[in-house]
Amino acid sequence: MRNHRPGRLLAVTAAVVTTVAVTAACGGGGDPGPGGTTAAGACEPAPPGTKVELTFTSWVPGMQKTVDLWNQNNPDIQVKYTEVVGGNDGTYQAYANQIKAGTTGDLGMIEFDNLPSFRLQNGLADIGGCQPVAEGIDGYPEWTRTQVSFGEEGAVYGVPQDVGPLALYYRKDLYDAAGLKPPATWDEYAQQAAQIQAQGGLIGNFMPDQPAWFTALAWQNGARWFTVGDDGTWKVDMTDPKTLQVAEFWQKLIDAEQVNTIPGIGDVEWQALDAGQEWTLIGAPWTAKLIETNVPSGNGKWAVAPLPQWSAGGTAGGSWGGSTTVVWAGSAHPYEAAKFAMWAFGDPAALALNNENGGQFPAHTGQTDLPALSEPSAYFGGQVIWTEFAKANDQVDPSFAWGPTMTDTYDTLSNGFGQAVNGQAKLADVLGDAQARTIETMKAQAIQVG
Amino acid sequence: MTNREGAPAVAHAVEQHETGAAPPPSRGRGRGPVPVRPRRRVRHGRAVVGFLAPFVVLFAAFYLVPIGYAVVESLYTVTRVGGTFGRATEVFGGFVQYAAVFSNGPFWASIGRVLVFFVISIPLQLGLALVFALLLDSPVLRGARFFRLAFFVPYAVPGVIAAIMWGFLYAPTLSPFTLLTTSFDLLGPDLVIFSIANIVNWIFTGYNMLIIYAALQAIPPELTEAARMDGAGQWRIAWSVKIPMVAPALGLTGVFSIIGTLQLFNEPLVMRSVSSAVGSDYTPNMVVHATANIPNYNLAAAFSVVLALVTCVLSFTFLKIAGRRTLS
Amino acid sequence: MTAPTRTSTRQNPLSVGGATLFMILFAGYFLAPVWWLVVTASKTRAELRASHGLWFSGPFELPGNVADVLGFDGGLFLKWMANSVLYAGVGGAVATLVAAMAGYALAKYVFPGREAVFNVILAGVLVPTTALALPLFLLFSEVDATNTHLAVLLPSCVSPFGVYLARIYAAASVPDELIEAARLDGASEMRTFFAIAVRLMAPALVTVFLFQFVAIWNNFFLPLVMLQDSTLYPITLGLHTWNSQIPHNPDLQLFVIVGALLSIVPLIVAFLFLQRFWRSGLGVGGVK
Repeated sequence: MRNHRPGRLLAVTAAVVTTVAVTAACGGGGDPGPGGTTAAGACEPAPPGTKVELTFTSWVPGMQKTVDLWNQNNPDIQVKYTEVVGGNDGTYQAYANQIKAGTTGDLGMIEFDNLPSFRLQNGLADIGGCQPVAEGIDGYPEWTRTQVSFGEEGAVYGVPQDVGPLALYYRKDLYDAAGLKPPATWDEYAQQAAQIQAQGGLIGNFMPDQPAWFTALAWQNGARWFTVGDDGTWKVDMTDPKTLQVAEFWQKLIDAEQVNTIPGIGDVEWQALDAGQEWTLIGAPWTAKLIETNVPSGNGKWAVAPLPQWSAGGTAGGSWGGSTTVVWAGSAHPYEAAKFAMWAFGDPAALALNNENGGQFPAHTGQTDLPALSEPSAYFGGQVIWTEFAKANDQVDPSFAWGPTMTDTYDTLSNGFGQAVNGQAKLADVLGDAQARTIETMKAQAIQVG
Repeated sequence: MTNREGAPAVAHAVEQHETGAAPPPSRGRGRGPVPVRPRRRVRHGRAVVGFLAPFVVLFAAFYLVPIGYAVVESLYTVTRVGGTFGRATEVFGGFVQYAAVFSNGPFWASIGRVLVFFVISIPLQLGLALVFALLLDSPVLRGARFFRLAFFVPYAVPGVIAAIMWGFLYAPTLSPFTLLTTSFDLLGPDLVIFSIANIVNWIFTGYNMLIIYAALQAIPPELTEAARMDGAGQWRIAWSVKIPMVAPALGLTGVFSIIGTLQLFNEPLVMRSVSSAVGSDYTPNMVVHATANIPNYNLAAAFSVVLALVTCVLSFTFLKIAGRRTLS
Repeated sequence: MTAPTRTSTRQNPLSVGGATLFMILFAGYFLAPVWWLVVTASKTRAELRASHGLWFSGPFELPGNVADVLGFDGGLFLKWMANSVLYAGVGGAVATLVAAMAGYALAKYVFPGREAVFNVILAGVLVPTTALALPLFLLFSEVDATNTHLAVLLPSCVSPFGVYLARIYAAASVPDELIEAARLDGASEMRTFFAIAVRLMAPALVTVFLFQFVAIWNNFFLPLVMLQDSTLYPITLGLHTWNSQIPHNPDLQLFVIVGALLSIVPLIVAFLFLQRFWRSGLGVGGVK
């Protein structure tokens, strides 16, 4: 069997180097760090007079300017900032590698939906006991506090940065010309979809590549995909009646070809908006700046209305995106790191910079006092769109929780949605598959799941 | 691997070439060929070590150790104690991960997909590369230097950039080739595999052309000259003299195409942003990547090991088949 | 197809015309996207969508666009360019030298375990690069060397494929008799290699260098895993970063296109420069 010789040689060589490799592995990943067990008392400031240097990673455009402001005013706590690619574009993988190697540094940006995954890797420090956090955490909306505590009393695993409450962007000019009002309920949305189709347009886009968008819509309808029992066992339920109602709603629109089904939040989408194909876009606050910069031809034509509701007069919301800044479990200065994070995402001057440079809609409830967020926007026909989002943010249901292997869940969803929009699957079946696959993946991680 | 079939074959070509070549320049006191074979290993052991050491050290550090690590990782599994998230420990799990690999539908589906991709893409790619190389080498072509550069340029375009660029050209709303992109859904589930194959062929045809061209250049002119004297035309020389002589190089490009196809990653990954028909598990390497992203390193390592073994088996099968062809 | 007539050694004009036309058609195929790149890089951002992709439109903005890209963010692009040249140039050169030595040893010396060593080296080609990235990262973390030039440079110095090619070329182009003659002259084995073998293998080594140079130049996975500091990025990773930020800063779309065009230039220069060695014959022995 000389065919197999190289393989066997490889195996033999591998065995020889195993010792080296194991040493390398254990040296890096053996010590899990203090994640999750940081006692409240352990978060102490460095002795007076010590100079502390922190590292901070994020992909918010222009965050360097916020950091510069901090560095000017805090000579003893200097922050070295690194701008990286988006989490799912490679940074989450880099984080995971760094956690394994014990080289995470001090502070990093993580979106809400990926927070449990890094908690699972024991990568996050509980900064709930740090004095600046304990004092200031109440300044953030309840739903974000739930998400960063995972329901643990007094725990804080990340400082909420920005939030993504859904609202309805719509082409006011087209709506006015057609004598339509933005839909208050999903029923109306479906009716208008038919009317708009008759006029040669599409009401919106079902984005197959943005499973977090679909998740936010299920969230709005009261879906609870991930819950934890009293014994700590996870339960996954992605095929509950609420989620299926949302799935069937969109399935009908897809089947009737009343919505676009192109990749969202990218050039393909901007082209479609530029061409005036889509009359509405279900989006988050951060979507505003994207539309504004990428679809200049829409200037003055767009407006923002509340997200349609499942029942007339309802006030339910969901969040798409939004992020936190975490203190890594390996940080030697959790106190200073937490102090910086609370400032960068709580202080009015910092929030104003984050909004100006990065288009962030701050999570902090003080955001409503920001001058920039109470100004009318010319692109949106003089509307003060941020008040719409502030209202929407108050309506986000605090009891929704994310799973610990969300990357995989999203992958399964987006693969399935891709097939669904190409007529090869049904949305409801995709959800069933995603649920089965998620349970399988969690079990492979030795997570207790019932 | 490759040398089992490939290298002797190349060496064979090389031998022929040497017999055809002029005798090596002698440095003064030519004593004629010395019967050297039997004693050499004893005489130059230190030199061998000296020549091999730099490569072997680097290779061990940056290939063997990482591979060994991946193999070890693939034999471990995670256990967790306490609570909702718990604390993970890696324990020896034997072949648990491999069992998971073999029952993983999407992984094997992705291998099937790249095999289809191989059939769509590689025969055309290598066929064209061979034709281009033969033309470059033949006297009938004018401007060979220009074509050599022009065909190689795509290989100089980084794969990620090439994919972004072709993504523009495929998209119905962005493409300058509107007639083509509006009548065919190049990014739909039926055609997207051809669209990706086109990107890969665009990048690699020139590269393979150069490898074959290099082999053609090594054919001693005496051989083709002799054929010409016998009255053979260019077609005949190409078919009966040149192609058999570059068969080992073709085999080499074939093996590298197999490896390259199984490791396909950048192009489909970039295409995801413009096509909903490309899933995150489109190719085996994308499955590995997605698994490492969970992160489930142990399973990802097992996927990698199995992928390397599959590559090995397919490369051998290819060389077996290709070898028989060239012999007959 | 039948073989053309056997009348003369002069080429049939029909064959010449047909072959040239065939090649021109394909040159069009291979160069059209590059042409698109040139045209697009010469436009203003507003013209990008508005105009046809294969012809110029509006003012010719290429010099201005290039200046914008080079000046953006404190000359970041030039740093990427320099990094890529460092990684690919030094990495390619070291890899070629090391592979040449190994290939030469495998071709010209008989020693126990020779085939075994060769097989293990070749098996290295089969391993998916994605599988190596994480272990390499952990390895460099051990010595606290991630996020440095070395983290990308050192692994780039290994080319198993280069050893394979070098072995074949050494066997082909370095006659045993010559080595023996050098030995009789009293030259050491190393001296023989550097003074004689390297010169004979030169055209082949240029090929090895070119392939490794381009492979490193295009590598993007390893830098992605190793580097956080954007001033250490090579061009591919830098352009990828810009590309992922386009939604936030649409100016970057044009920058990515101009940057892609600029990134090809050094490779073409390298190719033209190295092509000279080929003209003297890729298999030098064949040309005498």
